[in-house]
Amino acid sequence: MKNIVRRIAGAQQLGIILIIVVLLVVAQAANPQALMPSNIVEILRSSALYFIGASAATLVLVGGGLDLSIGSVFAVGGVAAGIAMNAGVPWPLAILLALVVCGMLGLINASLITWVGVPPFIATLGMLFAASGIVIVVTGGTPRFGFPAAFTDLGQLNLFGIPLLVFYAVIIGVLAHVVLAHTVFGYNIRAFGGSAPAARANGIRAAQMNVSLYVISAVVAGLCGVLLAARVATADPGAGGTGFAFQVLAAVIIGGTSLFGGVGTIAGTALGALLFAVINNTLALTNTNPQWQNVATGVILVTAVAVDHLRRKRRFAVRSA
Amino acid sequence: MSTLQPTLELRGIKKTFGHVSALKGVDLAAYSGEVLAIVGDNGAGKSSLIRTISGVYRPDEGAILVEGEQQAFSNPAAARAAGIATVFQDLALIEVLDVATNMFIGQYPRRGPFVRRKAMEREARAFLDELGVSVASVRTEIGMLSGGQRQIVAIARAMRTGGQVVLLDEPTAALGVRETAQAADMIRTLRERGNAVIVVSHDMSLVFELADSIQVMRLGEVAGVRRRTDTTRDEIIGLITGAITGDRLTA
Ligand SMILES: Nc1ncnc2c1ncn2[C@@H]1O[C@H](COP(=O)(O)OP(=O)(O)OP(=O)(O)O)[C@@H](O)[C@H]1O
Ligand SMILES: [Mg+2]
Repeated sequence: MKNIVRRIAGAQQLGIILIIVVLLVVAQAANPQALMPSNIVEILRSSALYFIGASAATLVLVGGGLDLSIGSVFAVGGVAAGIAMNAGVPWPLAILLALVVCGMLGLINASLITWVGVPPFIATLGMLFAASGIVIVVTGGTPRFGFPAAFTDLGQLNLFGIPLLVFYAVIIGVLAHVVLAHTVFGYNIRAFGGSAPAARANGIRAAQMNVSLYVISAVVAGLCGVLLAARVATADPGAGGTGFAFQVLAAVIIGGTSLFGGVGTIAGTALGALLFAVINNTLALTNTNPQWQNVATGVILVTAVAVDHLRRKRRFAVRSA
Repeated sequence: MSTLQPTLELRGIKKTFGHVSALKGVDLAAYSGEVLAIVGDNGAGKSSLIRTISGVYRPDEGAILVEGEQQAFSNPAAARAAGIATVFQDLALIEVLDVATNMFIGQYPRRGPFVRRKAMEREARAFLDELGVSVASVRTEIGMLSGGQRQIVAIARAMRTGGQVVLLDEPTAALGVRETAQAADMIRTLRERGNAVIVVSHDMSLVFELADSIQVMRLGEVAGVRRRTDTTRDEIIGLITGAITGDRLTA
């Protein structure tokens, strides 16, 4: 029993859980609808796409990488699927096509990083710009719509009163958790992120790791774009963007994943994504200017990283730089 | 002795980095159940030699033979697969991961795609206990251990991988008296298990305590190879400094 208490108190995410609870209490005090099932479902729905993107981003960051390009790969996914469907391609094939295109972009990121030696920050920042430019050029900046109902159903239907999007998020989250925490691939991700030279000396291939991580990242970002296109029945070339990329990265880092690699959990990321949705929701229910969301994001992000840094410094005493 | 086939043999290994000739045609023979010590001044090429054997560097020229079979290692994984386990001078441990994981990196006990975490912890624990290594928990992160404890874990990992050839690059540098004795015991255990052990060390007491043969490196070449029972510290130190002219014939 004592052990359990200590484990909960020592949990890195305790702070986030507390903030979420406080926000929900404040929201409930201001508006009795806050804790109604319909509002809880709305919170989950609004965090679903961010969480899906953040699950993949967690793998990348734990693996010592960084993928900023998810913002524009998101748009590539939606637009590619939209163009394909408008051209008469059946929707399942259109989705597959879109994900393959996104996967290729991930492969380009991984190639630049592995074989050319471009730092991940630069390679994926370049891709962020280039891919968003191409999407605008190809579409002429105009959205695509007129998709089959079977496609839009994917993003709009509910099951037992809960949006399908939430089910996708749970499935992908569980999958990402199992992969990261329990598989050989996940152990290799943590080893590679913890120290790439040491991982290589122990037989882990850098090329294989980078290709896997950046392709997963791009395919999942593209999937998020496809799902948004289904939900709003429109493929918007301006969807995603830096807003999506930074929200996702903020959720991952607030959830306790280290920017320096090797450390991080999907459970933490889920809390990070949930926190943003709760902040938004509380601001809406209390009729507060939604711009406060950005202020809160900034403050919480910096606080989370600072607290983590101090805790680590204490644990590793003088040794960790 | 010379009629036996060496477990590991190098012939004419050359390696240059830009203008620096780190290895200028190095021969070496390591035998099962023996400890070969490699000594030499700083920059003599000892670490370069170890890295070449373990697949980190590719030799420009020369041959590497394991059990008489010629090998070309394009990466450390290939060398490991051929039965060469290495404790690198810079350790190659991962600080943010725990002791058990570090001992099994790249070779986890698995069931399909999954790591058998419990089995891994149990084996790591049993292995360290058997060696008499004191680590509070195999779940301790490496970053929280002392330098000496880390070194012991690194040696334990090389022992665990069970290669026929075990390379140790300065395994006792920066170790206290107790840990040095422990490392020496571990190296003896390796010899008793029938491994071919190659130890790079600047510690002459350790070398004369452990080695069956001593190979002296000087400026990227082999200055001499001696059986420990046929040589003295003075001769070895003379070969290291160049006071005694090297003889390539014994190599
Ligand atoms: N990766 C590298 N790039 C360039 N030069 C290198 C590289 N590795 C080794 N050298 C050079 O090769 C020579 C031999 O170095 P090496 O590290 O093998 O010496 P060592 O015998 O292990 O020395 P120490 O006792 O200091 O560990 C040195 O001149 C070194 O500067
Ligand atoms: Mg060295």
